Amino acid sequence: MDCYTANWKPLGDSAFYRKYELYSMDWDLKEELRDCLVAAAPYGGPIALLRNPWRKEKAASLRPVLEIYSASGVPLASLLWKSGPVVSLGWSAEEELLCVQEDGAVLVYGLHGDFRRHFSMGNEVLQNRVLDARIFHTEFGSGVAILTGAHRFTLSANVGDLKLRRMSEVPGLQSAPSCWTTLCQDRVAHILLAVGPDLYLLDHATCSMVTPPGLAPGVSSFLQMAVSFTYRHLALFTDTGYIWMGTASLKEKLCEFNCNIRAPPKQMVWCTRPRSKEKAVVVAWERRLMVVGDAPESIQFVLDEDSYLVPELDGVRIFSRSTHEFLHEVPAASEEIFKIASMAPGALLLEAQKEYEKESQKADEYLREIQELGQLTQAVQQCIEAAGHEHRPDMQKSLLRAASFGKCFLDRFPPDSFVRMCQDLRVLNAVRDYHIGIPLTYSQYKQLTIQVLLDRLVLRRLYPLAIQICEYLRLPEVQGVSRILAHWACYKVQQKDVSDEDVARAINQKLGDTPGVSYSDIAARAYGCGRTELAIKLLEYEPRSGEQVPLLLKMKRSKLALNKAIESGDTDLVFTVLLHLKNELNRGDFFMTLRNQPMALSLYRQFCKHQELETLKDLYNQDDNHQELGSFHIRASYAAEERIEGRVAALQTAADAFYKAKNEFAAKATEDQMRLLRLQRRLEDELGGRFLDLSLHDTVTTLILGGHNKRAEQLARDFRIPDKRLWWLKLTALAELEDWEELEKFSKSKKSPIGYLPFVEICMKQHNKYEAKKYASRVGPEQKVKALLLVGDVAQAADVAIEHRNEAELSLVLSHCTGATDGATADKIQRARAQAQKK
Amino acid sequence: MAFPHRPDAPELPDFSMLKRLARDQLIYLLEQLPGKKDLFIEADLMSPLDRIANVSILKQHEVDKLYKVENKPALSSSEHSMQVQSLCLSFLPSVLLQRIPVLVRAFGLCFLVRPRIRNMRYIANLVNADKVAGRTRKYKVIFSPQKFYACEMVLEEEGIYGDVSCDEWAFSLLPLDVDLLSMELPEFFRDYFLEGDQRWINTVAQALHLLSTLYGPFPNCYGIGRCAKMSYELWRQLEEEEDGETKGRRPEIGHIFLLDRDVDFVTALCSQVVYEGLVDDTFRIKCGSVDFGPEVTSSDKSLKVLLNAEDKVFSEIRNEHFSNVFGFLSQKARNLQAQYDRRRGMDIKQMKNFVSRELKGLKQEHRLLSLHIGACESIMKKKTKQDFQELIKTEHALLEGFNIREGTSYIEEHIDRQVSPIESLRLMCLLSITENGLIPKDYRSLKTQYLQSYGPEHLLTFSNLRRAGLLTEQAPGDTLTAVESKVSKLVTDKAAGKITDAFSSLAKRSNFRAISKKLNLIPRVDGEYDLKVPRDMAYVFSGAYVPLSCRIVELVLERRSWQGLDEVVRLLNCSECAFTDMAKEDKASSESLRLILVVFLGGCTFSEISALRFLGREKGYRFIFLTTAVTNSARLMEAMSEVKA
Repeated sequence: MDCYTANWKPLGDSAFYRKYELYSMDWDLKEELRDCLVAAAPYGGPIALLRNPWRKEKAASLRPVLEIYSASGVPLASLLWKSGPVVSLGWSAEEELLCVQEDGAVLVYGLHGDFRRHFSMGNEVLQNRVLDARIFHTEFGSGVAILTGAHRFTLSANVGDLKLRRMSEVPGLQSAPSCWTTLCQDRVAHILLAVGPDLYLLDHATCSMVTPPGLAPGVSSFLQMAVSFTYRHLALFTDTGYIWMGTASLKEKLCEFNCNIRAPPKQMVWCTRPRSKEKAVVVAWERRLMVVGDAPESIQFVLDEDSYLVPELDGVRIFSRSTHEFLHEVPAASEEIFKIASMAPGALLLEAQKEYEKESQKADEYLREIQELGQLTQAVQQCIEAAGHEHRPDMQKSLLRAASFGKCFLDRFPPDSFVRMCQDLRVLNAVRDYHIGIPLTYSQYKQLTIQVLLDRLVLRRLYPLAIQICEYLRLPEVQGVSRILAHWACYKVQQKDVSDEDVARAINQKLGDTPGVSYSDIAARAYGCGRTELAIKLLEYEPRSGEQVPLLLKMKRSKLALNKAIESGDTDLVFTVLLHLKNELNRGDFFMTLRNQPMALSLYRQFCKHQELETLKDLYNQDDNHQELGSFHIRASYAAEERIEGRVAALQTAADAFYKAKNEFAAKATEDQMRLLRLQRRLEDELGGRFLDLSLHDTVTTLILGGHNKRAEQLARDFRIPDKRLWWLKLTALAELEDWEELEKFSKSKKSPIGYLPFVEICMKQHNKYEAKKYASRVGPEQKVKALLLVGDVAQAADVAIEHRNEAELSLVLSHCTGATDGATADKIQRARAQAQKK
Repeated sequence: MAFPHRPDAPELPDFSMLKRLARDQLIYLLEQLPGKKDLFIEADLMSPLDRIANVSILKQHEVDKLYKVENKPALSSSEHSMQVQSLCLSFLPSVLLQRIPVLVRAFGLCFLVRPRIRNMRYIANLVNADKVAGRTRKYKVIFSPQKFYACEMVLEEEGIYGDVSCDEWAFSLLPLDVDLLSMELPEFFRDYFLEGDQRWINTVAQALHLLSTLYGPFPNCYGIGRCAKMSYELWRQLEEEEDGETKGRRPEIGHIFLLDRDVDFVTALCSQVVYEGLVDDTFRIKCGSVDFGPEVTSSDKSLKVLLNAEDKVFSEIRNEHFSNVFGFLSQKARNLQAQYDRRRGMDIKQMKNFVSRELKGLKQEHRLLSLHIGACESIMKKKTKQDFQELIKTEHALLEGFNIREGTSYIEEHIDRQVSPIESLRLMCLLSITENGLIPKDYRSLKTQYLQSYGPEHLLTFSNLRRAGLLTEQAPGDTLTAVESKVSKLVTDKAAGKITDAFSSLAKRSNFRAISKKLNLIPRVDGEYDLKVPRDMAYVFSGAYVPLSCRIVELVLERRSWQGLDEVVRLLNCSECAFTDMAKEDKASSESLRLILVVFLGGCTFSEISALRFLGREKGYRFIFLTTAVTNSARLMEAMSEVKA
């Protein structure tokens, strides 16, 4: 037991610090770390080294090499740097490498050295050069801050959504600040810089001088400053070897320490953890590492080699040519259990379990001791928690075993915390493996979340491990396995040496119909890599046509896109494709394409009807659709043309089209209409009044009403109005004129083709019973009853009906018998009926 | 005679949720344009909007003034134009601009429109006028029920795409009554069945999807017609994309039946004689309410009356044959009088009870009663003037297929006398469909007569009717069958199944006579058909004809499939589909299995609704109707008419 705490170093009264090895590095570094630009991503991220930086003034012919390693020193990428001089390197939260060049350009590389994109930090930098740059992380993402040759700062709080903000000027600043850092307060990024004995806080509008409270006097310059991982704390190192530690708001001092070393430290970083007892700062010089906090003594380590510090959420990683270590404050649970002579319940439980394995009765004694204090639950929890903080699997195991042992003596201990810890540790141990090289601690893992961890595995192309983790943790497919498979497929399509067929098949085999996988996304990636054919093959697997179309259009496979759009039944989609096609093809080809797609054609026609009439005409022309062309011109004759000549011309074109369509009826009708229009025009000129656009029937009626009988007759002859119509027409018109004399003449002109009942009806409609009766007598026998009833002669109607011996007529008359006046008639009918029945 | 439901009839689902959903969404959209705003509403949306959100709700969400989007050339019929004039609230843009003082308040303008291109131009004119005047305002276009890409494109072409924000108000289902949902899309009929435009199918699928998320899942699904099939497939796709939501639920509605209007034009073309249908034919029921003119209200004012199940008097007579209605109403009047008369001889306490409890109800009933009596009188007056009996007789003859010559000359006379352009057209179509096309001589002469009577512009109408298969010419046998077999081959081909060639209907034969025989649509009656106690659905047409659409529904429900109806389906020349999900059906209660949603794509008539309600009572079903719009013969004909702009 005591040997376990051998590497524990106390700081002050309360806290212990320990440093343990994560990996022994066997990266084959040719140069010293101090000759390189170094960037290591937090959360056990990768390490980037840019050798041979320009500041060394070495032979210009030697191009520098950019190398990327995993945290365990496994090489991930190596490339010759061909761009300009680099000032600073840094990793974004998405694990992209940002290389800030002297000219202000920022080049973005992926984990595997693949160039992603670049952006610039503004024009001002071009002249003034970048002196220094920092990459920092906020809740918005990763930001870049630069210091230009003109001693001005520019920053962007999120490189994903680049918005450059130029910070205000420090008045009278002549030289570069001795040190500076970015702070993040109230969700706004600030710059804190030190010039001589003064500290300035900058934002985009103001520059204010600040003084740390309780700063020891006699400071003439600040050599180093460090802000903690969470931006909560700030440490300042002065030229007197004095370290001030306080809150980042500069409102409160935590403590101070004088190390009496006046040499500027190489690095200074905070070493804290969430809910830590002690806030400490790690300062590194060439060969010395010092942990200082609120204690008179500091912890000192000797550095054998060049080392580099990486601040983490809950500690500091220290790597060098040969090792990679982790320095952190011992977490409370571990401290309770492992502290020498600890009587904490967890410690007792661990002891009890050990004794139990040795088959010693002491196990029982320890257990009793815990139970008597009623602290068994707490003991189990402690053991579980402590297991999480242990790096070595054997220690994790023994702690978990103790927890599991203690659990046996508890009635109702919810098992999920134990189960979850086992699962988490298994995942953590897997990713900490040398080959994977992500040395996450438990707290970092919880902060990062499993989703992000999976993303990072995917980023490292560790698809099998990622999938195993998903399956092990039973993550829902959409979030887990299928997402990873989709990423895998996107990576797969980039393998240029494999044939399209093979890639497509391989992808389909793996992915199948896994829910949540979008084949169109994968196809888009394939197209992005210039593999159009592969993209088309992949799209075939996409079940949703709607997803296929946009990409097909992008790939200029418009006709295929049209087919897919029509299949989808989504007219909007069809329309999108149509407009694409319209711009892409010449008119003739476009129309030809439409011709083979009736659904698209009718859609486009609808659009043209409202928006592009001329195109509609062209469409019909193209198809030799003379019928529709005729209709089109007829419509045009109403809509567009005001003058009669224009209308007639349009109608003529229509008639020609109808002839071509072999629709003689329509052609003749159109010609009649032209004739009618001309005639109406003439009538208007000669007689005045309104004739245009009346129907033939109405034209004749108007003429009769106007007393132009001759003209009316002429017109009827010219247009061959059938007799029946003419009689109806004349009858109605004359009755309306109440020209009874003329009507009578007309009725006698020849035998009426419509009979005489209409005469009766129309006269009655004009309330002329007298005239009506005249005609009633001429009505044929079969309608006589009806006519008589119309003129109100019920008695006579009854006589006729009886004479006809027609049952229907009898009842009709009967239904017209009202009241007393027709009583006799009614009786008569009844009698007749009775007689008829007798017979 | 009232129509009580069978005691075991299933309860209808509560569709008022649809109204709430639509209202909440609209409010949300209005709130997206903060501050005071003027609202421009498309005329067609006014009545539906009125049914779910009144002016005070709009005012609460900072709507200042209401305008109507006016599209001058859009009028389709004379009747329509009259309505527009009487409703005219709108101001021309120039007038509007003068009305709003410049720089006083920055109003937002909100447009609530159907996705139509001419609306986009209207909006563009307004916005561009603002630009010329140097005024900046916020513009928001809310498309209902969805936006179309073509509209956005027009906005872009007009150069205002960046100035307006576009939103969708997915208001596609308006509950007009407890059992009637309407999409209020009358243009569906013309767009799909005439122009071959499939845009609205997506809307239908969306609506079905909404219903199934709220009241679904639907275990059994039947459909007939190409549109039905496409809607069904699109709907399935939507369901699959969002799988899992309805999985665990118990189905509320057991069957869903999709039916294309062109499967049965005949029923829609007949004169309606059931009270509700007759009111629709005579006064036009618009969005569930009707404007009774002075001749009905017997005062000098018009009255807008909501016609639904809440109207106690109406709900008892809506499904009745008209001949019974008068008798019923007078009986009702007598009863009412008797109830009033009870007042005599009451003591003070009883009187107090009477006044506080019953009087209001009685008065209400009195008012409704007098309205419906007025309506009946008005209908009678109109119908006797037109010799309604003769008309009905002709229609029945056409349906039964005898005295065709007489029928034809009746139609001829009808045209010669210029009785009514729409009526004449309707009769021609009815003749054509029942006779499988007109014989060439009649086809030409009737058309010539029609053009002479009602104006040459109807040449275009005839071309439309021909394309829709409503008015066709009997072609010499050989050529037609050749085309027909070609088309039917195309239809069976899966790829071609998705194609709606507007011209395929050219070759479509109605085969009405054969279908009628097969399905026994003309009931054989010994003696008089008793309209008071109807025996079958034929009562909605005075016992002369069972509506084809309803018969199909009846038979398929009986068989739970299309089995044994192959011949009919072939004659109808439509593709059918059926789909049963046993897993879901097992979960369905026997009650929900008797609840049937019938979807009419292209509109349904009140007669069909009455007929199915009758069927439901007979068999213990309950029908729910979903239609793209309530239609009747006149609306059908108007949709096909071309009127010069």
